[in-house]
Order: sequence, then structure tokens, then C-alpha cells
Amino acid sequence: MHIPDSFMPLSQALIYWVAALPFILMSVRWARNELDETKVPILAALAAGIFAIQALNIPIGMGTSGHMVGAALVAIILGSPLAGVLVLTLVLLVQGFVFADGGITVMGANILNMGVISGFVGYYTFVVLRKSRISIAASAFVGAWLGLLVSALATAVELYLAGTFPLVPGLTAMGLYHLIIGFVGEGIITAVVITAIQKSRPDLIDNSFLSSEAKGAAA
Amino acid sequence: MSDTMSGNQNMKFLYAGIAIALLISVLAPFLASSDPDGLESAAMDIVDEAKLTAMEEVAPAVESPMPDYAIEGMGKTGEVAAIVAGTLIVLVIGFAFGKLTKK
Repeated sequence: MHIPDSFMPLSQALIYWVAALPFILMSVRWARNELDETKVPILAALAAGIFAIQALNIPIGMGTSGHMVGAALVAIILGSPLAGVLVLTLVLLVQGFVFADGGITVMGANILNMGVISGFVGYYTFVVLRKSRISIAASAFVGAWLGLLVSALATAVELYLAGTFPLVPGLTAMGLYHLIIGFVGEGIITAVVITAIQKSRPDLIDNSFLSSEAKGAAA
Repeated sequence: MSDTMSGNQNMKFLYAGIAIALLISVLAPFLASSDPDGLESAAMDIVDEAKLTAMEEVAPAVESPMPDYAIEGMGKTGEVAAIVAGTLIVLVIGFAFGKLTKK
């Protein structure tokens, strides 16, 4: 879902940088306040793993492929959507500057879509489902799937505003492809990884929101 | 769990993570589908062909050393090297960033 530079006029690309910047700064502040010495290896391992998995495009039929984004997975493990924003920002910087995957001028839009939108939608869907006593695997699956789908729809709207996509066909095509990519590439992989970590290192997955009901509701 | 204990456990997680990431990096050039991704497919479905060709001919704003996860003239070996390099770069940046910003 990496938008290339040519898909968006510079003036609009800059607007998405302005929109993404506060989230990037908040994600740095999250690292300052929440990331302790013992969590640094987890952050580094997740960042490397997300970069690698994004290189693995899975065929979904219709002559199309897609790969995992991973913001929801990172957010669920580290307990904040800002962790997802942080990891996706690092990954997108390397992808854009080193591999020409996703443009540089449109990187703000890519960070907004894949880091912020998929991270926030994915994480808070997960939290709401967990609070309704849905299993961790099912919550992670639905959260990650929905996060990817909503971020694809947001991309379609941005490309409509950019004059690149027509609105309804854009939403339909992006929605259809990412419904499937989100199911296989995002939902299933996220659920499998979360289940594996839950079995081997249950202490690693942040679930403080389950015990701090009042605080969570207020936030 | 004490900090030292979870610290050691987390280093194990890091090593396991690096091993899995490198395994995926090495396999990706052979396993990954070369079909266009969701965004590219959508563009091909709904954007006028001439307009799409014109957009694709626009050079990226910044030249990249390894465009499309490949090294020119090195085939699959170059692709493996490119993705492994990318994984290691992200690993180092992630680790260094974490060390510098942690509370």
C-alpha cells in the first residue's frame, strides 16, 4: 500500500506530513516515557521482523498480492498504538530512502495510513474486543484486519483528493483487495504471532487495559 | 520477574526475532509473489492507461541505492543481499533509537 511520489501532488503530500508529524513526535515521547531498558530488544526485534515480513508479498488471486503492515501487531505487544507508529516510521524511512518503496514526499501519507490509521484502528479494536472477553487470538485477528482495511480506504480517499483515483471505483478496488490482504496477510499472521508469544512469553504482551477498566474508559 | 531476568528473556526474544527476520529476508526473493500489490492493482483497474504510464515514468524524488529491493546485475543473490541489508539496517536503527530515547 506504499504510495509512490508520482501519485500525489507535492502540495497535498506536504499536508499529510503536517498531519503525521504530531503522531511521530508523540511516538518519540511514548518511547521516552514508556520504553525501558528491557523493552529495547523487543522494539528492535519487532522493527526488523516487520521490515522483513513486508518484503514477503502473498498472492491473493486476481493477479494481485499484498503484504503485512504490522502496526497493529506492534501496538498490541507494546501496549500502545504509538509503538506501531514508531516502528512503521522507522521501516518506511528505510524502505523509502534505501529501496524506493514508497515515495519520500508522500512518506507522511504512508506513515499516516500504515502507521497511524492501521495502528490506532487495529489496537483499539483489539482492546474493545478483549474487554468484551473475546479471545486474544480472535481480537488480534479482527483488529489487525480492520486496521488494514480502514487504512486502505483512507488511502483511496487521499488518492481521490489527489486527483489520481476516481472516488467510488477507488474505494471499491482498494477495499476489495485489502479485504483479502487484511484477512490473510494481516489478520492471520497477527493472530498467529500473538498466540505464539502468548504461549511462550505471556508476560510480554501488555494487557494492563484489562485491569485498569476505569482509567481505560476515561482515556 | 526481576528486571535482569526479563532483560535476559528479552535478549532471547531479540535473538529469536533476528533469526526469524533473517530467515524471511533470505526466503522472500524466492517466495514473494511478483504480482502487483493491492494499490498497484487498483491503479491498473481504475486509472486511465496513458495517465498511469506517465505517472510511472516520473522519477522518484530521491534516488535510492537499491531500488525495488535489488542490486543491479546481481539477480536473486542481489535481492537476498538487499533485503538482508535492509533488515539489519532497521534492526540497528531500532536498537540505537531505543537506547537513545528510553526513559
